[in-house]
Amino acid sequence: MATDPAPAHAPDPQALLAAGRYVAGRNVYGIVWIDRDLIATASFGAKADFVTVGEPIANSVIAFIGSEDDIRALQDDPSGSIELPGVVIHGSADEQERYNLSLFWDPAQACYLLLVARASLDAALEVELLRHVRFRLMAEEQIKAKSAELARANRDLEDFAAIISHDLRAPMRALAYMTNDLEETLASGHLEDAHTKLAWIRSQSQRMSSMLSALLDYSSIGRKYRALELVDTRALVAAIAASLPVEGGTKILIEGTWPVLETLKAPLDLVVRNLADNAIKHHDRPGGVIRLAAKETPQALLICVADDGPGIAPEHRQAIFLPFRTLVAGDAAASAGIGMGLALVERTVESVGGSISLLPSDAGSRGTTFEVVWPLMLQESLKDQ
Amino acid sequence: MSRARKVMLLGEIGVGKSSLARRLVFGRFSSEYKPTIGVEIYRHDIPAAALDGQPASLILWDTDGNFGDAIFRHIYIKQASAAVIVADKSRPDTIDAMLRLARGFAEVLPGRAIHFVINKDDLTVEDESAHVDGCVLAAPIQRESPIPLIRTSALTGTHVEQAFIATARAIFRRGH
Repeated sequence: MATDPAPAHAPDPQALLAAGRYVAGRNVYGIVWIDRDLIATASFGAKADFVTVGEPIANSVIAFIGSEDDIRALQDDPSGSIELPGVVIHGSADEQERYNLSLFWDPAQACYLLLVARASLDAALEVELLRHVRFRLMAEEQIKAKSAELARANRDLEDFAAIISHDLRAPMRALAYMTNDLEETLASGHLEDAHTKLAWIRSQSQRMSSMLSALLDYSSIGRKYRALELVDTRALVAAIAASLPVEGGTKILIEGTWPVLETLKAPLDLVVRNLADNAIKHHDRPGGVIRLAAKETPQALLICVADDGPGIAPEHRQAIFLPFRTLVAGDAAASAGIGMGLALVERTVESVGGSISLLPSDAGSRGTTFEVVWPLMLQESLKDQ
Repeated sequence: MSRARKVMLLGEIGVGKSSLARRLVFGRFSSEYKPTIGVEIYRHDIPAAALDGQPASLILWDTDGNFGDAIFRHIYIKQASAAVIVADKSRPDTIDAMLRLARGFAEVLPGRAIHFVINKDDLTVEDESAHVDGCVLAAPIQRESPIPLIRTSALTGTHVEQAFIATARAIFRRGH
């Protein structure tokens, strides 16, 4: 019958004890003895110094709080143990030491033994490596988000350039045709006709000048607003309503809660004024009602500008915030302006970190409602400008 | 020792679980991002006046966000009395993860208190899905289950203590 060979060097209990003391003394591990009532009765080794002898073990090792029943169950399962690997226990100080905790029942001594071991150097290195990998992944995610934002800004810029070149080139071309035409008219001696054409050229030049001024305003939004000030928004909106030209019995109603808040007054004025002005200009019936309503939320002032006018057709809803877009044609276009109002409003709202949306409406129904989210806490970058 | 209860801090990587724990326990915030590996345990004492007349301690198990749903099979989750599940206001995907973790926790430990925390409330978020009107953000969560939602900022400390006091009250109200 084969028997297990005796070890070449049977461990000497005294040598084992000395080795144990040596390792514990080098701050590698500690042992805690715990009685049936889960009171720490003794400890050994510097790693167990944090345990208060004479008190429940959970007072010192808070990781065991809530696990008392599981610990007691070990008495019926001497081969079992509770293992909590790689745990950092923060005491009163913000400690960073990582422990492997191993708790088991020793039937011979009729007590629990808790082994507190310092997580190995390899484990510590692994943790640091993992931290660096995760940190890099998070940074990459942020870079990806910023890149997407930049790409969107570039696309916006390209779209903007395309719109501008198209919208300014068309009246320029018309002016060129008209001057050629004027030359022919003068050559033929039709002076009255020439005066009419000159008047048209003057009006188109003024319109182009207005477009360029509006473009200048559009491009400088966000750069020219500097001072935060305490604004009574109700007084501001009342002043806007009083200053707008209303005809045909149109009413402007101010509703909801308009608080006093620290914000940028000029851009807020621009936004509400343009939206209200648009609602008046595009109304098609006498006795129209324009509602200016506000509601304060913890982070933003929600502003609604609603009218009971003709509404915006679904095919035009996408384009309304683009520069130089008017939804009227022919003679009416001249009185409707150059189509920069909503573009200016959107860019102004975005420059303060807010948003604007055209709320959906049922097909064929009348009325338009714009909702502006005007942040109460303005972006830090804006305050620094 | 006062009444002590184990509370799991769950949520995706980088939502600010450790920052919340450190803000609560040590009253400070560090802008250095240091992902939690494994588990880190904190203790926070709540005075009697904030509860039902008796003091209590919360033992916060700040878990590695990388655990995902695997946390529910880990010994770390055993005997937890409640979960505070955190999402990042500026990352809508972390809100989906928050809902998933809530379902997992409710399955493993039914009847235990759960609180949702939307952290980084100091940020201005332009994304439509995280609209600044609180109701919009809360709506998809409230449809999922009637779990309380608290907005916090570990950076400024806003509502951090309130979130954990609410958790402690829910634990003792439920008797877990």
